[in-house]
Amino acid sequence: MIATFFLLALLQIKVPDAAAIVGQPEGVPLSGQQLERRTMAISAELRCPVCQGLAIGDSPSIMAANMKAQVRELLERGYTEEQILSYFEKSYGQFVLLKPKFQGVNALVWILPIAVLAIGFVLVVSKAKKLEAAPVAAAPEEQVDDPYLARVREMVEKS
Amino acid sequence: MAAAEFVVRLIRGVNWTVLVTGIIIVATVVFVLVAGLGKDPQHIDSPLVGKPAPPFALKAVNTGETIDLESLRGKPVIVNFWATWCGPCYLEHPTLVANARQLPDVQFIGVVFNDTEDKINRFLAERGNAYPTLLDANGKTAIAYGVGGVPETYFINAAGTIVAKFEGPMSTEILQENLAKALR
Repeated sequence: MIATFFLLALLQIKVPDAAAIVGQPEGVPLSGQQLERRTMAISAELRCPVCQGLAIGDSPSIMAANMKAQVRELLERGYTEEQILSYFEKSYGQFVLLKPKFQGVNALVWILPIAVLAIGFVLVVSKAKKLEAAPVAAAPEEQVDDPYLARVREMVEKS
Repeated sequence: MAAAEFVVRLIRGVNWTVLVTGIIIVATVVFVLVAGLGKDPQHIDSPLVGKPAPPFALKAVNTGETIDLESLRGKPVIVNFWATWCGPCYLEHPTLVANARQLPDVQFIGVVFNDTEDKINRFLAERGNAYPTLLDANGKTAIAYGVGGVPETYFINAAGTIVAKFEGPMSTEILQENLAKALR
């Protein structure tokens, strides 16, 4: 374990750092159960780039495991949820966010369902009001063309 | 005659509001589906294209030298993310090796994540070894580049800006087409 750590330290002289991408941590460094809880919560908001519609917290892929480890490390260093999501968005784009941002074309994802529901509600209410206002028409006298039915009626009337 | 009468009765019986609304909804759905037909669902447009390449300095497992991306400014760089456990990486490796040997003015770099030195060196010994291969042990460099899966290749111009990203196994045609963007 220690040998692996030193080997990694020797091989990785400099890796891209979050500070260069989203600035210094703006939150409180987390540890213990709180760290695990926040790691799981943020991992549920990030899309696994190699899976179809899975969060990195639910994906067994190596890439997702790396991303989850990165989320944990950033939380340990005191980065906020907003900074962490922004860190991944800078590399992967908005694709990586399972909850799209309310901006640009993405805003339609939030607006359209509500708009369609509202339009449907208005249509149903206006139709119901029209039906309520319309006088109930008397049922027209039934024209019987069926000779069998006519014969039955005739028999009933006679009896 | 009967057919014409049927058509006239059909047209008269149509609820035009319902018909037009239905056509608009169906046309929208069909348009969205057709627009997505030619797209690869795995493809991610990189927000890094046109931006400075994230800096890294890693030690090459095959040559022992330290490669600092920033020290390579002044010439185009091709950064290829791969792994020995990735099938398509076996397919593209000969192409990369051949092009690296033919293009001495272009710096090729391999970045391998979630792999071991032994496996990488064995792979290179068996399949060709023409440029430095770096080990990104915990995938931090891959994450900073927005790598989804391997292989993925980034083309960086002499100013250190990412000009193109390609997902999947590389062919010479694709390599030259993207390298041309880095040489502009």
